[in-house]
Amino acid sequence: MQSALGIKLARLAIVLAIFALWEFLSRTGLVNPRLLPSASDTLVTLGDLLQRAAVRKDLVVTATEVVTAFALAVPIGALIGYLIAENRYFAEVAKPLLFFAFSIPKSIFLPMFILVFGVGFSQKVGFGFFSTIFIVIMSTTTAVESVKVEHLTVARSYGATPMQTAFRVYLPSMLPVLLEALRISMIFNLTGVILAEMYASRDGIGHQIASWGENFQMKQLLAGVVMVAAIAMTFNELVRWVETRCSHWRT
Amino acid sequence: MQPLANITPIKPAGAIEVRNVGQIFKTTSQDVVALENVSLDVKPGRFVVLVGPSGCGKSTLLMMMAGLRQQTSGTITISGAPIPQPDPNRVGVVFQEASLFPWLTAEENVEFPLALRGVSKADRRAKAQDALQLVGLDGFGKRHPHELSGGMKQRVSIARGLVQDPPVLLMDEPFAALDEQTRMTMGDELLRIWAATGKTVVFVTHSLTEAVYLADEVIVMSPRPGRIVDHLQVSLPRPRTYEMLSGDAFGSLRDRIWRHIRKSA
Repeated sequence: MQSALGIKLARLAIVLAIFALWEFLSRTGLVNPRLLPSASDTLVTLGDLLQRAAVRKDLVVTATEVVTAFALAVPIGALIGYLIAENRYFAEVAKPLLFFAFSIPKSIFLPMFILVFGVGFSQKVGFGFFSTIFIVIMSTTTAVESVKVEHLTVARSYGATPMQTAFRVYLPSMLPVLLEALRISMIFNLTGVILAEMYASRDGIGHQIASWGENFQMKQLLAGVVMVAAIAMTFNELVRWVETRCSHWRT
Repeated sequence: MQPLANITPIKPAGAIEVRNVGQIFKTTSQDVVALENVSLDVKPGRFVVLVGPSGCGKSTLLMMMAGLRQQTSGTITISGAPIPQPDPNRVGVVFQEASLFPWLTAEENVEFPLALRGVSKADRRAKAQDALQLVGLDGFGKRHPHELSGGMKQRVSIARGLVQDPPVLLMDEPFAALDEQTRMTMGDELLRIWAATGKTVVFVTHSLTEAVYLADEVIVMSPRPGRIVDHLQVSLPRPRTYEMLSGDAFGSLRDRIWRHIRKSA
């Protein structure tokens, strides 16, 4: 227990040290404060920004896009992944192709999304979906493959119906892998949506961050970075917390 | 007294009949004969061990007795009726080590067959407790498989196989993944459970020592195609003891099996 606490304290110390270094570099002028406003100023600006209706509206816009893209990409990707994994022929045909597709940086397709969808909600959601679906497909394939044949045989030998097998064997077997997939998919999803916003958009937090940068508003820019980072980390940690609770399922 | 009264009909519960069973696996290049013309009678309450080299079809035969696989030809009956699909009321199956569900506790694993049939929670729990007690795991019900040793996991598997009280227990190399000491202990434990419950047991193994130590009868099989090459009666007294392993009777039985296996390997 004590060493676990020690590790947590050490982590906290590192985070505090980074903020302290940031503050120090800016305050002493070692780094030009116009390029690097101090940590305390940035946090104050963050507080101000969160009070502003416009910024909140941007956050809502981004959140809506992220959730929509995620809600589309995860079930569709999971279904495709499941179908591929369950069929040996599909798996052999499709798997290398998926790896090829996955290896391409998705950002190079962004201009095409703008041409097809125009600038707006569907372009950003579309690109978020596109950035996410490959990792969802690949993770689901892995998740289905993580179901042990022995467990399926046990279920069959005790007379499980297909529904019972799905809910009592497939789902719990796949859950740890699926949770991890969910977590990593969200990272890709968030990256996709925010990139789309930064590249061409009229609203959204990504658009704000890009315009703060263009206008040399460093305090706001850094505050935006901290904000998005905090949101991403919160979601990530939430899923990771659930993950660790069923980590011993993996064998 | 009528003379007929002395002739009691064979009680079918727990009897296994295998008649001229063949199994052909179709692959893209050729058909593989996994089993050819296998016939076998197991009387209720007997402990029968199937032994033979890899590929002799002993596990396949066991899976067919469990209703998990259908033979290409011939008939198999359990307690007097064919077994076209798994029937947990007639047959309990114990698999190799990895077969427990890691997301369930020991007692939930044992309850699994009952949960599938919608048995009430209280009934399930009571039956699981009885089964766990029978296999010597009283008080370990709340543990997850990763908190149990290999031997304890197999005890849970046996409890799961017994929880619906089927007359037949089929065991597919249940102790193969265990170390030698645990394996010996588990053998003794299994014999104790078998004596306490009076089940018909069909047990598949690679180990000749294990085969002779446990069995009333040993069925020796050979591969390509899989068939029965010998059927030994083990007349060693029960309870079996460790000292018997070094005895002449034990040694000659084991040698006889070994000669068959060496020939076919």
